[in-house]
Amino acid sequence: MASGEIMQVNIVAADHPVWSGKAQAVMVPALEGSMGILPNHEPVLSLLEQGTVTLTDDQSQSHSFEVSDGFISFDSNKLTIAVEHGQVKDSAKQ
Amino acid sequence: MASQLALKSRIASTQSLGKIFNAQEMIASSHIAKARAVALDAKPYTDAIFDAVQALVAHTNIDHPIVMKHDEDNPRVAVLALTSDRGMAGAYTSSIIRETEALLAGLDAKGKQPQLYVYGRRGISYYKYRNRNVVDTWEGETDHPGVAVAESISKTLLDAYMAPARDGGVCELYIVYTEFINMVVQKVRVLRMLPVELVQGGQEADGSTESVQEAVDDSDHGQPKDGQETAKTGTAPARAGEVTPLYTFEPSPGKVLDMILPKYIQSRIHECLLTAAASETASRQNAMHTATDNAHNLIDDLTRKLNASRQASITQELTEIIGSADALNKEEE
Repeated sequence: MASGEIMQVNIVAADHPVWSGKAQAVMVPALEGSMGILPNHEPVLSLLEQGTVTLTDDQSQSHSFEVSDGFISFDSNKLTIAVEHGQVKDSAKQ
Repeated sequence: MASQLALKSRIASTQSLGKIFNAQEMIASSHIAKARAVALDAKPYTDAIFDAVQALVAHTNIDHPIVMKHDEDNPRVAVLALTSDRGMAGAYTSSIIRETEALLAGLDAKGKQPQLYVYGRRGISYYKYRNRNVVDTWEGETDHPGVAVAESISKTLLDAYMAPARDGGVCELYIVYTEFINMVVQKVRVLRMLPVELVQGGQEADGSTESVQEAVDDSDHGQPKDGQETAKTGTAPARAGEVTPLYTFEPSPGKVLDMILPKYIQSRIHECLLTAAASETASRQNAMHTATDNAHNLIDDLTRKLNASRQASITQELTEIIGSADALNKEEE
């Protein structure tokens, strides 16, 4: 990946938006095992299981989120992570 | 004319009622801001699910009971009415009930067997009092419905919908709710929630590949009104049997459908609950505002009557004093 490449990421829970911003890489707990997504991934719609979403934002900081039961959808360099319940696990982790 | 004492006590009671109405109005207006924030918070999730469903519609051949129910001869339909828990909201609940009754009558006339589901204490007591059959009810939190109640409602209704006809399943689901248009206008709406009507699928999915191709040609030449839709139709032909390579569904399109469609229903129901809650609060605020105004008018009216009756009694006393003084003077002469 060219280090300059980023994608737009939105993490939304059923009753509130959790996180939104630009990221270099995202790891999600897909149903069939952990799945990494980099910018310009092919369009994908994948189910998630309970677990942790980890992402590296455009400042190279990493963020973790507890999520349960949802799906991700990636299209035109925009990643949407929609989950029933989600919360920031350790937002300021360096 | 009523006695001054009676007028005074009426004024006092109207004043205290006026204070209550005023307080209720202020409570309602503070709730509206909250209801709006909750609705805004839930919007991104609803949008995400909607987009996902759109993607599924565009890239797969959806064949799921939620979209197309197969047993068409099943006469049972479910009707969910969203009413309020508390009164003091003007015509909110009564207009919902009126609309529900009209819908039930219409469905009856079509030979269907409507089954009623009610949310909100006011609606429940209305139907209980009339000994009507209600399949299931929910109450509490109608002015700030959480995800939990939406989950419970959508689960019950989906279970009823997915159940086979011989086990008492239903073939359609209608929701009667109040749409929040603005602070002054709220409109009662009847929404057919199930089976889901997909903008894309429908006639194209039924047709052969050729007709799909034609449809695409048509949309290429004309109808530039909606660029998005045209773009989707363009990708549609490749789905003839399976998924297009453009979009990957993991683990499989079927499993994704199985999970996303119920979520879609749930989020739609939650959306209805939220807009109903906002409408309830707004109509409560309007009702309380009118009630406060009326209380003030009544107080003005009564005060005027009180003053008139006081003046009348003063005049009468004066006449009596003058009359008796005159009589005394005459006797002295």
